[in-house]
Amino acid sequence: MAISPILDSAARALLANETVLSVVGENIANVDTPDYSRQRAELQADTVIAQVNGVAVGTGVHVQTVDQIVDPLLARRQLGAETDASQQSALSDQLGGLAGVLNDLDQPSLAGALGDFFDAADALGRNPQGLAERATLLARAGALVSEFHRRSAGLADLQRTIDDRYVAVASEVNDQLTRIAQLNGAIVAAEATGQSANASRDQRTAALNQLAQTVGISTTEDAHGAVTVSLAGGATLVAGTDVLHTVAIRTNGVGLDGGALHEAQLADPNGVVVRLPQAFATGELGGLANARDVAVVTASANLDRLVDGTGVDPGLRDAVNAVQQAGIDLDGNSTAAVPLFQGTGAAGIALSGAITVRTLAAAKTTEPGDNANALALADLRSTALPALGGTTFSGYVATEESRVGEDATQAGDVATASSLKLKQIQDQRAGISGVNLNEELTNLLRYQHAFQAASRVLTVGNEVLDELLKAV
Amino acid sequence: MPITRVSDAQRFDFLTDHANELAVSISDLNQQIATGKRLTRPDQDPLGSAQVVRAQSSLAALGQYDESTRFGQDVLGAQHDALGQAIDETMARAKELAADSSILTPDARSAASHEVDSLLQSLTAIGNSELAGRRLFGGLALDGPAPFADPLAPGYTAATAYSGSAAQVSVKIGSGSSERVQISTSGDQIFTSSLQALTDLKAAFDNDTPRAPSLDAVESAIGDLESERARVDVRASQLKQRGDQVAALTVTETAARSHVQDADLVAVISRLSQAQTALQALLAAGAQLSQTNLTDLLQI
Repeated sequence: MAISPILDSAARALLANETVLSVVGENIANVDTPDYSRQRAELQADTVIAQVNGVAVGTGVHVQTVDQIVDPLLARRQLGAETDASQQSALSDQLGGLAGVLNDLDQPSLAGALGDFFDAADALGRNPQGLAERATLLARAGALVSEFHRRSAGLADLQRTIDDRYVAVASEVNDQLTRIAQLNGAIVAAEATGQSANASRDQRTAALNQLAQTVGISTTEDAHGAVTVSLAGGATLVAGTDVLHTVAIRTNGVGLDGGALHEAQLADPNGVVVRLPQAFATGELGGLANARDVAVVTASANLDRLVDGTGVDPGLRDAVNAVQQAGIDLDGNSTAAVPLFQGTGAAGIALSGAITVRTLAAAKTTEPGDNANALALADLRSTALPALGGTTFSGYVATEESRVGEDATQAGDVATASSLKLKQIQDQRAGISGVNLNEELTNLLRYQHAFQAASRVLTVGNEVLDELLKAV
Repeated sequence: MPITRVSDAQRFDFLTDHANELAVSISDLNQQIATGKRLTRPDQDPLGSAQVVRAQSSLAALGQYDESTRFGQDVLGAQHDALGQAIDETMARAKELAADSSILTPDARSAASHEVDSLLQSLTAIGNSELAGRRLFGGLALDGPAPFADPLAPGYTAATAYSGSAAQVSVKIGSGSSERVQISTSGDQIFTSSLQALTDLKAAFDNDTPRAPSLDAVESAIGDLESERARVDVRASQLKQRGDQVAALTVTETAARSHVQDADLVAVISRLSQAQTALQALLAAGAQLSQTNLTDLLQI
């Protein structure tokens, strides 16, 4: 009777089960590791080559492969969902910030400053010669100017913050590309020699997801395990171990604060930089650019319109000045050359240098006590202006508040929907690739028993051999 | 796609995600309780925010209309009192003197002349009345010179006695540019006929002229003053009505704004209690979750 096949078979089983237990241990160790894909050892019966008493029997078992349990289609869907969720989240966050800057439900507010200004005009109407009333009106006009400045500065600060974030995010892209190219190399090299590159694949998946959050990409994997990464416009970023295009950050346009704004552009290995705005219109970069270049700029333009009007139809400055300059001051002089406001836009509006408590025009005639001009100024509170869409100043502020709030709400809803979609895909992926401890512990028991059984076979083989040796 | 397998990370992610959502909800509800406001940002309710901003503007305007109606009623009330004094005291006495002029002795006529001088001064003082430094019958000019000249001054004539403001001051009581109520009339339009009647009466006493023309003039002047007082009363009544309207509108507008902006504390506290219970249940479930694996059961 041949004893060695028994021992060989038991030894192979011990080795196979030891390997499987290692894989189970690896899975348990990574139960909470982000982006880890569980692994499974594929056992295969060894080739039947042994002859025992003229009967062919198997020679044991071996681990054929250690596979990752992944769904490539889900991974690809996740890339798109990461891009969409990140873009919508960035836009929603920044529009939320914009709604905060333009918030008129709290103090100080533009609507409140406008109301205070016209309240002071009403009070001046009740006592047109009162120095206290005149001083109050000028102070309220100054407060209104300050509120325009504060709001304008808030928009400029928000735009600068978004641009800083844009630059910071874009600056990370090249490191991500280099990392993906390196991981491509590691995976190809390992798998070419039959080694497992599962850990590198997990890391590459994480790096691709991170890149997809920044900008929309598409990927294809070749037969050797390397992925090619392309931008939405078709430009190839990574092919194998090579980074073919990098991201260059260039200035593009001027911000509300007068400083330069930035844009991600594509640089080839020769250093030639080309603008591809559409290629960077998705992901967090796309969301940030949309908020910075559209939402904030629109809000700023609308704020300026409140001050300047349309150029044809007057805004606040010209409407107020038209009344002020049609009146008579406290000393009986015409105020035709004495505007109340000067300057352009919300950032530039200021009190006129010529305006004082005495040059404020409360009267239309030189008769003492005449309050006609102060009342005309107070009438502006409820005057609908064509430049403001046929609404009043406060109506315009309310409309703008509603518009910005609605944009933020809609962006929030879209971001929530995008996040849910991403979460669903992540859940599906986790359902397939995530580690379940109960499952692993069951496997642990199963393969522990298999290991113990193989040990028992080895013991039995050993005892049989001992019996034979005793007979010698 | 039905869920057929749940990883351990998913179970705890689910727990964390929902605990975070509940924590955010509790924080939001706490803020509503602390501020008493349901709306603090426009993105919470865009249309509601616009309504609140418009309501705040309307309330500010209504506040000013209220101030103006009160101010106007104060001014008109003072004018009413001053005109009453002029009619019931000054001019009534002048009428008595004019009526008696034909039966007065020369000495009595001389005394009456002095009394008319006194009445002239009294009426001038009424014409120069002030309310908080504002000339009631001088265009409400602030801290200005007396609009009516001293009747004892040389060269005095009733026709030229008034040198005050010709401004007809109004108060704004509504949003439209025509929603005004006049609260001052130039003093010369009110008192010139009375001053002229008194001047003529004095001249009649001084010159011993017949009584009839002077009495007619005094009665006509009293009629002018009574007409002005009636106009003042009508304006005061108009302001009173508008003030009542403004008060009612303020209540309505405040209620509308409150309905949109303010938190319903009973509902908020109820929701807070619900959220806290849900969070406690979730955390308890989390504690159970950590025990439902083979590690504990097999005591590995």
